[in-house]
Amino acid sequence: MRKQELLGALREKLYGLPRADVEERLSFYSEMIDDRIEEGLSEEEAVSQIGSVDGIVAQIVADTPLVKIARERIRPKKRLGAGVSVLLALGSPIWLALLIAAFAVILSLYVTLWAVFASLWAVFASLACCAPCGVIAGAVFAVTGNVPAGIVIAAAGVACAGLAILAFFGCKAATRGMLLWTKRMALATKKALLKKEVAQ
Amino acid sequence: MDVQLKRGLLDVCVLAAIKNEDSYGYKIIKDMKPYMEMSESTLYTILKRLELAGMLTVRTCEHGGRLRKYYHITKAGIARMEDFQNEWREVMLIYQFVSKEDKRDA
Repeated sequence: MRKQELLGALREKLYGLPRADVEERLSFYSEMIDDRIEEGLSEEEAVSQIGSVDGIVAQIVADTPLVKIARERIRPKKRLGAGVSVLLALGSPIWLALLIAAFAVILSLYVTLWAVFASLWAVFASLACCAPCGVIAGAVFAVTGNVPAGIVIAAAGVACAGLAILAFFGCKAATRGMLLWTKRMALATKKALLKKEVAQ
Repeated sequence: MDVQLKRGLLDVCVLAAIKNEDSYGYKIIKDMKPYMEMSESTLYTILKRLELAGMLTVRTCEHGGRLRKYYHITKAGIARMEDFQNEWREVMLIYQFVSKEDKRDA
């Protein structure tokens, strides 16, 4: 592959990312290729050392924040005509409300998801609190004369401690899974946004 | 290797590559090669991050009829490297301690 082919392919696949960012990156790759050629490599060898188009694209997409892609995606490609501007202004009570509603739905979904994790951790915290309390209360009962009740309460405390340890690992794994999933979703959203842009 | 740790190490490696004299992309990759393999995309991301953090500045010069970007370390970049060296002196002490315990157990 020649240099211009690589840059052309990258430019095409990165359509939808901020243009200035893309051009700056491409000039960086171009400089890297030229430096290799200057050192005695052939153009094809120099290009192949930079990596595959798909590999480069995947890394750039992963590096670019989702917000940046979304902002670029929303920005109109052409200047709006007077008619469209008037329509937009007149229709704002409708589309603005819809937009806010859409954001609210997404936000509430996200909050609900995290609330599940907050409650999981709350279960762990209450178990962890019950464990020492149970043991101490059991000891107090035993000392004040009610030995059977003391043993039962202390045993419950120890059981809580065991459950708390189990709950801790469960909560930790769940939270880690959730974080990984969020990351994957962000990457998938970015890819979907870019693909749409190319299809247009 | 831990992602955050690797990120920090890469940053410092790139700063080290431009510490003594201003350098350009391909030279940085070549200078680092014996110690750490790095792709162009990764280097670009790191250079951008360091530039935004004010640890290096970029200037464009003409070279052989084309443009080439040179990277220059700033005071903040030098301070980052010094911090790194101080932190790692402590880490190495801990490492020595840990390794010593290891040998006795074996």
